Amino acid sequence: MQNPHPGLPEIEYIKPASLEEASKFLAAHAGEARPFLGGTDTFVRLRDGAWKDKYLVDVKGLDGTAQVSFDPEKGLTIGAGVAMNRVEAMPEVREHYPLLAEAIRTVASYQLRNRATIVGNICNASPAGDTIGACMLYGGVLKVFGADGVREEPLDTFFKGPGKTNLKPGDIALSLTLPLPPRGHVGRYIKVARNKLGDLAIVGVSVLAYPDATLASGYRFLIALASVAPVPLRVPAAEKVLAEKTIDEATIAEAAQIAMDSCSPIDDVRGSAQYRKLMVRNMTRRALTEVWQKLTQAA
Amino acid sequence: MGYHRITLTVNGVMELVDVPSNMTLLQMLREKLGLTGTKNGCASGECGACTVMLNGEPVNSCMVLAVECDGADVVTVEGLAKNGQLDPLQEAIIETGGVQCGFCTPGILISSRALLNRKPKPTEFEIREAISGNLCRCTGYNRIVEAVKKVAGTE
Amino acid sequence: MAVAEKQQTVIGASVPRLDVREKVTGAAVYADDIQFGPGLLHCRVKRSPIPHGIIKRIDTSKAEKLPGVKVVVTGADFPDRIGLYLKDRHIFARDRVRFIGEPVAAVAAVTEEIAEKALELIEVEYEELPGVFDPVYGASPEAPLLHPELGTYEYPNFIFPKPGTNIANHFKIRKGDTEAAWPQCAAIVEHTFRIPHVQHVPIEPHVAVAKAEENGQVTLWASTQSPFAQRALIAKALHIPESKLRVIAPFVGGGFGCKAGVTMEAIPVAVALKLPGYPIKLRLTREEEFYTNFVRQGLVIKIKVGCDKDGNLLALENTMYWDGGAYTEYGVNVTRAGGYSSTGPYDIPNVKTDSMCVYTNHPVGGAYRGFGMAELHTGIDQAMDMLAEKIGMDRVEFFKKNCIRGGDVLATGMVIHDVGIEDCIDAVARDLNWGVKEKPSGPNKVRGKGIALAWKAPAMPPNAGSSAIVKLNADGTVDVSVGGQEIGQGTFTVMAQIAAETLGVPYENVRVTGPIDTRYSPYEWQTVASRLTWSMGNAVRNAALDARQKVLNVVAEAWQQDPKELDIKNGYVISYRTEDTMPLKDVVVYGIPKPNDQGWIGGPIVGTGSFMPTYVTGLDPETGQGDRAVVHYTTGAQGVDLEVDLETGQITILKAVSAFDVGKAINPELVKQQMEGGMVQGLSSALFEECKLEKGVMRNPSFVDYRIATAIDVPPIMDTFIIEHAQDDGPFGARGIGEHPLVPSIAAVASALHDALGIRITNPPFSAEKVYLALVEAGLAK
Ligand SMILES: Cc1cc2nc3c(=O)[nH]c(=O)nc-3n(C[C@H](O)[C@H](O)[C@H](O)COP(=O)(O)OP(=O)(O)OC[C@H]3O[C@@H](n4cnc5c(N)ncnc54)[C@H](O)[C@@H]3O)c2cc1C
Ligand code: FES
Ligand code: FES
Repeated sequence: MQNPHPGLPEIEYIKPASLEEASKFLAAHAGEARPFLGGTDTFVRLRDGAWKDKYLVDVKGLDGTAQVSFDPEKGLTIGAGVAMNRVEAMPEVREHYPLLAEAIRTVASYQLRNRATIVGNICNASPAGDTIGACMLYGGVLKVFGADGVREEPLDTFFKGPGKTNLKPGDIALSLTLPLPPRGHVGRYIKVARNKLGDLAIVGVSVLAYPDATLASGYRFLIALASVAPVPLRVPAAEKVLAEKTIDEATIAEAAQIAMDSCSPIDDVRGSAQYRKLMVRNMTRRALTEVWQKLTQAA
Repeated sequence: MGYHRITLTVNGVMELVDVPSNMTLLQMLREKLGLTGTKNGCASGECGACTVMLNGEPVNSCMVLAVECDGADVVTVEGLAKNGQLDPLQEAIIETGGVQCGFCTPGILISSRALLNRKPKPTEFEIREAISGNLCRCTGYNRIVEAVKKVAGTE
Repeated sequence: MAVAEKQQTVIGASVPRLDVREKVTGAAVYADDIQFGPGLLHCRVKRSPIPHGIIKRIDTSKAEKLPGVKVVVTGADFPDRIGLYLKDRHIFARDRVRFIGEPVAAVAAVTEEIAEKALELIEVEYEELPGVFDPVYGASPEAPLLHPELGTYEYPNFIFPKPGTNIANHFKIRKGDTEAAWPQCAAIVEHTFRIPHVQHVPIEPHVAVAKAEENGQVTLWASTQSPFAQRALIAKALHIPESKLRVIAPFVGGGFGCKAGVTMEAIPVAVALKLPGYPIKLRLTREEEFYTNFVRQGLVIKIKVGCDKDGNLLALENTMYWDGGAYTEYGVNVTRAGGYSSTGPYDIPNVKTDSMCVYTNHPVGGAYRGFGMAELHTGIDQAMDMLAEKIGMDRVEFFKKNCIRGGDVLATGMVIHDVGIEDCIDAVARDLNWGVKEKPSGPNKVRGKGIALAWKAPAMPPNAGSSAIVKLNADGTVDVSVGGQEIGQGTFTVMAQIAAETLGVPYENVRVTGPIDTRYSPYEWQTVASRLTWSMGNAVRNAALDARQKVLNVVAEAWQQDPKELDIKNGYVISYRTEDTMPLKDVVVYGIPKPNDQGWIGGPIVGTGSFMPTYVTGLDPETGQGDRAVVHYTTGAQGVDLEVDLETGQITILKAVSAFDVGKAINPELVKQQMEGGMVQGLSSALFEECKLEKGVMRNPSFVDYRIATAIDVPPIMDTFIIEHAQDDGPFGARGIGEHPLVPSIAAVASALHDALGIRITNPPFSAEKVYLALVEAGLAK
């Protein structure tokens, strides 16, 4: 039975002066120290006793974590410490990464999104993370500082299980880069939850698509699913059908069915596996249909 | 557990406070500064009763460590009225009847003030969206929405 | 005369709330806001992790040795039982635990963190026993007995426990002959409905602080609806002379019933008795709020109801199994209320009711806005909806044909007073465009409308009383003291209006003094049952009449006139005969000098008044018959217009409409606010709310997974209508409205869902998942 503390348990707050110092401290205190950004996952887990860290290492503001910048060549680089609202409010994000902006607006509440970060959402690696799908479909790559210096972690291979990633003790995610999406792209995020806003996803469906003359269908469709597998899930088999067959109602229905068949949700207090599967099918169909309509309108 | 000495501005007043590592901004306001207008309804970011303005943007003060606020500018419900003159939003919520038990009210006022600051003429959907993280069990919300519309002049 | 003409009635005027400026500026003081200085100790509670078991051993020695811990208490120190109606619980479990979260021990320490650590050091050994997790099973002879001592508990004469079973109260009605009526029915509906436990969810969690002095004085500061009931119950259980326990009750951040009676408040008092001199504070976490304190009981309700070919109701059999939880001290009376109101607001000649309160190993059931009526109506109104369909009648027509009217004899034998329920039905039907099918907003969406009725009587002991003091000040202002609590409903404002009107002073000149303090405030039973406007309102009116008469007597003597020729208008005493006037401030404290320095007349004016209904009679234990079961009923109707997304099952309520007969709206805007807020709470329980209990474990005890309606979930249009058929013994004809607006909501949504989908989904909450899977089952979706 859940019986969280009234407040946060005793912890030490550490604000290191440099990345090296932060990384060394985290590596030396593996299992009892944790980096944090907004803290919106961290504080909740500490309070309810699920996490028992002794040290919280504040990595916001360290080199490269506090800025967000857009470059027409390189795309968008979001510093780890940048709160979701700041990203969502950027005109460049609304113009070039509308799927990300849409996904952000479904997370928690406005005031929570002033603390919550996209990189925190990713590092937390909850299958329900709302912004992860969009970041994956835009081809997001994390920049990580670790014992061996800086490395890149493409999101497609980053997640290992609920709360599990390629990050090792001492690793600090610095920023996320999203390359500029191809011309003519259209996206849609549909979240099924109990309340209309503010709830965690029972199912989340992200779709991104753009014209691609090299494909038989003429379009490239990308699909990511939230809350229906141990990790944020891509559905390559459905994407393949949409690349190879003429896009119409039947093809969309087929792809949606494949999405449903390829996920492996669990029953939990938010929803049953059965409902989740059905919603994956229905919402994938809905998202694909809406995206398809926009693509054809644009064409 | 370590203590940290921080300075910050709260409702325009400079404060110097010693805070333990695990103290939240909410606890500091209530327990160290005696600013009890900001309420604790869940301590986990869900209810919005603890909403305050941090550097001009609303946050759940139960989801911010006090030590993170070194150098920050904080505005609480106590800071909305100026020289005994209520903020128009406070006047409006009185007029529309958007207050019953009043426990959600401080957080609601901060969330909606912040909305009006960033968007003086929000749509009804934007108002509802902006306060969707503030739970109210008494009013049914529509009178709160009316109050924001009134200030925005969009009713 | 000018002064008299300026007087305007403030009854029926929507004056602004008295307490609102404090509330919008953050100045309003709630229990958690009171400052106690450095001596304050923090209390945390060790709770049972199992739903049912015997306590074999408790060892607190390690906890006591932890630095910073001041005291540890267990049930061994507090042998007496406590409870509002049925005294069946201990403050701390002594030999047996009966629900997860039950207090077993408590610690007071210098910080909350240390108190929490001390809890981990308390060792408790249990022997687990089989549990009861369903009330129907619990009522059966096979179920393990949860309270073998039931026969020894104290209870009032209107509660009927069945010792040797898990039935803590069995209320019966036997009226007419249902068996003889069934063959005459042209249509019969039989259905079992299950209504889950829900939680009140005040945004302010429970907080209580207690301090004992060396001289035996004990003070409790609490977020409470019931300062006087808490004083009485806690004093008795802890052997404190009642007048030595003082309860101070500042603003309450929402109650809805969960802050009535006594729950956690006794804990800090018990701890304080062991450690005089220190204020001891207990503040529940949101999670504790969900499962360790009162919840609304679950209900299994089996209904059989029939009508003749013209749709006239002939007979009802209503069997209710209330899931009372581990202790039913308060819940037994919900069962009784469900029993005597078991027909709903329908006129039915033959009635057989069995309303049983059953012990289970679930959280403790208590009062919840509506006091059983929302649960009852979820069953009875849906059954009526089904019956109307079966006999082929329009639901509105069917409701109007069968609803109660003034003079009808109710199932208990009571003759009902004038009620405006028909007007309420008409108002709702008209506003909803009843009978018109609306267009959905897009493909894969369907629309539907539903309507349901409600009635509710104040549920309380027959002799629940109120009192008030009206004190006039030298500046002509008036202080009204009451013992009923402002919990957001606006009662202080309404009391000020009643006092102002009765006395003849401007409303702006009247204050209601808070916080409620049992040492200084006059007695009030509890802030529950939608009874304050009516009962406390009568007391305030009587006190104001008393003060008024005293003023008039003084002035009459000074002016040598008959008091009957005098009046008070707009703060002035006036004479209709001589047109003399005198401002109240010249009379009410210092009196009036006699001519020629020959002494004085009068003195400080204080009026007192009280009210207690004296006419409520007992009901026969076997038949439920008696002259007057309750004081009165407030009735009304509610309708919704909703849309269902056929691809997700998600419901959007587009519009909700309420109409209630409040007798007289003292403050119409406050009445409308109750209707809107109550309706949204009701709709929230229809769409989202449920304590997900599995073998006694609540799986969603936090806002993460116990969702309530937010600003974006509520209907953008809420219309409310006030109907006024005066209450004969209400102040200015008023009766209560606080609880009623949430009573019909679930049934109204269920009815609209059926209208939209053509299938029935009868057990709330109507979550998107439940709706969608029902569509799949019915072959309407894949
Ligand atoms: C009330 C509430 C509602 C919520 N609703 C939603 C919702 O609707 N949708 C949703 O997706 N999420 C939701 N969340 C979860 C949470 O807000 C998000 O996951 C958020 O994006 C986390 O970001 P953060 O910066 O606060 O993370 P933090 O708590 O700071 O960190 C999260 C995790 O990442 C690790 N980490 C942080 N920074 C780094 C780094 N630089 N390098 C390596 N590891 C790091 C931390 O150790 C921790 O394990 C909700 C949370 C709350 C409290
Ligand atoms: S107390 Fe901070 S959100 Fe509830
Ligand atoms: S007014 Fe009571 S919670 Fe909003």
